[in-house]
Amino acid sequence: MNKTKILYVDDESINLMLFEANLEKKYHVFTASDGLSGLNIINSEGDIKVVLSDMKMPVMNGLEFIQKARKVSPHICYYILTGFEISDEIQQAINIGIIRRYFKKPFNMNEISSEIETVINGFSK
Amino acid sequence: MNSIRFEHKITFIYLILGGMWILFSDSILNFLIDDIDYLAKIQTYKGVFYVLITTVFFYLFMKKHLNKLRNTEQELEAHRKNLQRLVDKKTKDLDAAIIKLSNTNAALNDKNEIINDQNLKLKKTLKALKDTQSQLIQIEKMASLGVLTAGISHEINNPLNYILGGLTGLENHLSDEKINDEKVDLYLNSIKTGVSRATAIVSGLNQLSRNKETYEEDCDIHEIIDNCLTILSSQLKHKIEINKQFAEQRIIVSGNVGKLHQVFLNIIINANQSIEDKGTITLSTVIMKEKVQIDIEDTGCGISKENLSKITDPFFTTKEPGQGTGLGLAIAYNIIQAHKGTISFKSALNKGTSVKIVLPVKSHKK
Repeated sequence: MNKTKILYVDDESINLMLFEANLEKKYHVFTASDGLSGLNIINSEGDIKVVLSDMKMPVMNGLEFIQKARKVSPHICYYILTGFEISDEIQQAINIGIIRRYFKKPFNMNEISSEIETVINGFSK
Repeated sequence: MNSIRFEHKITFIYLILGGMWILFSDSILNFLIDDIDYLAKIQTYKGVFYVLITTVFFYLFMKKHLNKLRNTEQELEAHRKNLQRLVDKKTKDLDAAIIKLSNTNAALNDKNEIINDQNLKLKKTLKALKDTQSQLIQIEKMASLGVLTAGISHEINNPLNYILGGLTGLENHLSDEKINDEKVDLYLNSIKTGVSRATAIVSGLNQLSRNKETYEEDCDIHEIIDNCLTILSSQLKHKIEINKQFAEQRIIVSGNVGKLHQVFLNIIINANQSIEDKGTITLSTVIMKEKVQIDIEDTGCGISKENLSKITDPFFTTKEPGQGTGLGLAIAYNIIQAHKGTISFKSALNKGTSVKIVLPVKSHKK
């Protein structure tokens, strides 16, 4: 069985590297260092199930990127991972269903992995 | 001459004249009239003549004197009337003056009242101004602190993320390679503890300096107090024994998380500063009906009676310059009021201070 494709967008390369290293066994991890590259990956791969994005990034922030991505791929589950406390903007995005959840950095890989599992199981049902 | 009175003189003169009339009238008549018959006739009327003469005298005399008396009386009466008039006029003038005075007095009283009112208003305005000023200072302070901590915590959270990510990777790798070493576990656990403590401090700071203005957040009282203790842990350790007597339930108050942090932080900072060498700070929470009572007691130097009433006044401080602005408790008081709660203080010099906060509870569950 092919591994589930997930995308992580963050402007900090160490975060990308660690994320991939920790989760590559379970998932097919794509990484991008900004929203534009993220959108390109979503467009070219097509069957990405989960997208996690940092909030504060150059060019466009996490929510702006996710809103653009949702127009192309509304079926993907989106998450925000940020070093900031939850803001009104993020809370609203959760409330209206733009993102499923918000994870605070430093984040627990296992927590993220179990969230992804729930989502995938939901898809497969 | 005064010794011989007028009536005496008159009586005396009358006596002399009468006596002389009796003694000499006959000889004078005899001398003047030769005719015996005629003399006899005159003799007969001599008494009548005398009476007539004296009557005329009496009449003239009485008239003159009585007139004098009457004139005097009239003059007196006129004087009296004049006096009465004068007295009446003066009385009227006085009455008018009194009325004028009392009017002036009333006007003065009114003005006094107005001045007192204005004084009161000024005092109120001054207090409001001071309150506003203190709030502005605090808001500005917290706003800049908020921007600063948000920035710093974001910058710290990323490297913390590297450490935690690296740690997770290491743990997974070691478990894959089946490496089981006590020392490695010790090192890994140290890193874990370090990361979680740093995370707690950063997150606590963030909670404290949140710039939200809403009073509808769910505030977990125990979490907030624990957060404050974490933030202050470097100041408290080795000096203060923390005695926590929390209710078993999780207590949620509807309010502002950041602002409630400020309240407990300020109170715990005060408690810490009041303890010179070593002491205890007791923090307890009790649920009472739909309210939570939070008591914070210290074994510090206490507050004197005269200062106790002033401690929530803005800018009142007994601390050394640089140690406190005198805003902490004023702000705490305002924040608790905004949460529809009450805050009260009890203190005994050299024994300690206890702060009691009562807040309406949104929910409490075990």
